[in-house]
Amino acid sequence: MKHAFKPLLVALTLLAVGCSQSASDSKTDSADGKKLVIGASMLSMQHEFVVNVHDEMTKKAEETGIELITVDAERSAIKQVEQIESFIAQNVDAIILNPAEVEACSPAVSKALAANIPIINVNSETGVKPTAFVGSDDVEAGRIAMQYLADKLGGKGNVVMLEGYMGQAGQLKRAQGAMEVLKKYPNMKMLANQTAEWDRAKGMALMENWIQAYGNQINAVFAHNDEMGLGAVKALVDAGLKDKIMVVSIDAIPDALQAMQKGTLDATVFQNAQQQGAKAVETAIKAAKKQPFDKETLIPFQLVTKENMAQFVKK
Amino acid sequence: MNNVIDTPTKPVGQTTYQTQIRKLGQYGILVAFILICLGLSVISPKFLTVQNLMIIVMQVSINALLAFGVTFVIITGGIDLSIGSIVAVAGVVAASFAHPDTYPVIVPLALALATGVAFGALNGFVITRSKVPPFIVTLGTMTILRGLALILSKGRPISNLSDTFSFLGGGKILGVPNLIIVLVIAFIVCTIVLRKTVSGRYMYAVGGNEQAARASGIRVGKVKMQVYILSGGLAALAGVLLTSRISTGQPNAGAGFELDAIAAAIIGGTSTSGGTGTMTGTLIGALLIGVISNGLDLLNVSSYYQQVVMGVIIIGAVILDSINQKTN
Repeated sequence: MKHAFKPLLVALTLLAVGCSQSASDSKTDSADGKKLVIGASMLSMQHEFVVNVHDEMTKKAEETGIELITVDAERSAIKQVEQIESFIAQNVDAIILNPAEVEACSPAVSKALAANIPIINVNSETGVKPTAFVGSDDVEAGRIAMQYLADKLGGKGNVVMLEGYMGQAGQLKRAQGAMEVLKKYPNMKMLANQTAEWDRAKGMALMENWIQAYGNQINAVFAHNDEMGLGAVKALVDAGLKDKIMVVSIDAIPDALQAMQKGTLDATVFQNAQQQGAKAVETAIKAAKKQPFDKETLIPFQLVTKENMAQFVKK
Repeated sequence: MNNVIDTPTKPVGQTTYQTQIRKLGQYGILVAFILICLGLSVISPKFLTVQNLMIIVMQVSINALLAFGVTFVIITGGIDLSIGSIVAVAGVVAASFAHPDTYPVIVPLALALATGVAFGALNGFVITRSKVPPFIVTLGTMTILRGLALILSKGRPISNLSDTFSFLGGGKILGVPNLIIVLVIAFIVCTIVLRKTVSGRYMYAVGGNEQAARASGIRVGKVKMQVYILSGGLAALAGVLLTSRISTGQPNAGAGFELDAIAAAIIGGTSTSGGTGTMTGTLIGALLIGVISNGLDLLNVSSYYQQVVMGVIIIGAVILDSINQKTN
């Protein structure tokens, strides 16, 4: 089905590209002429974290008085490359790219660099190095989460891992970080790992099945994001096992903090969407104005537990 | 099978020959289903326990509700791709009215169901009036409704839902999970509608041969309206239960659910060319999909292989079904 509609999608994208181009042309003409224009292509505006990053980008753009044109790549690398091409055609002053893929989005970066337009990657990487990178290191997030479990379990016990969408940078790196820590503890074992595609309902179903398969053998659960973690929590509560099995996940979404308040989720790892969004726009402005800027801005992850969660609730 | 569809000597109702073929087709799937269950219970001792079977039925229930709805549609020769998006819209609508201490639980439930029925009616209306193929119309509404779910929720999950609302899809009555109760009731009602009512017989007639059905005085447009309304309503019910079960209304919920539901109906012997299909077959189809995914999780088969296995089994089941129909 996907294939049958590709021509249609391409046609629609071209149409959209055409429209947005003429729209922005008229804007720059009518504006005072000096206003900086930054084009942003976001991975998916259906993704809460991306929406949060983008909200902060919009806020920063308003504060600094630049014009931000945002397009949604809807998880498609092809679409994203086309969007960057249209930004180049519009001759924007800088581009912010929130890549959908590591390799497939690399051509977008190369094209922008070839056109001498600074391109800033936010949140995830591409194979080709952009002008600057703003984000966090997902390996670190996996490490922090698994280290928490290792500490709490005293370096001994069985863990299951709910993974993100297979093959995405977030999934690969969070798994890598977790496995690095696990290697240091010979008495800790990974009983099972499987993808639940970042989805709460799927995470719940997978955890239900694992409870059937392993039951009391499981000591702790690591989920690559809060959505799946909360699904696992639900399954464990229903099975009456939550008191015995710990759950840690990543992102610190409001729902997860609420679950921690209730005592059902044990810990989460905070990824700072606000800072990523703000820093991306700041870096883009500096690069566009040819001022000095940091090639790489790494915003650290932070472990959130019951003890320190108050400071995250407000954010 | 083509003969059966092309020779509707009696436009209303089915000949005994047709009924028999359908029954035998069902047995083929039933045999495949039992074989897979037996195989899994041999390989994994954890499979054949009351608790695990209960979990499978719970996990299957959402897909089964969608599949029942789409079975009506496919029997008339149509298709409904919008059901996954209706799950999301209905879920978001329900969640918006299900915060603690706001409205009684009937309000989110009724509003969500009304939403599903309304969009089902919209599908039916456009399809019957415009003559645009259902595939295109529902593909359009699929996208429109996904967008609507995102607009209504501002792209974020809606959480903090009341306990009474969470009880709908997450609770139990007398030890039986509500999801299973709803599934059983929906199955019985859908079976009665399809087999014991005039409307049900008209659905087969329209799918078997639309022109003959029209010539014999059946109001084809009305029948089509009915099936899309049923499909939309059941999808909304599924959306409410899903939202209730995971205690959050998510704008991206239900993406791809339409394909699982259509797969369940087709595995269960519903022909995409219309005119054949039963609710029992669809239920078995849904259970088959659920059993496979549960079994592979129990065996900790890597998710890369799970997808391959699932596809092979879907095609295999349908081949088995068609061999079964031919030999009889």
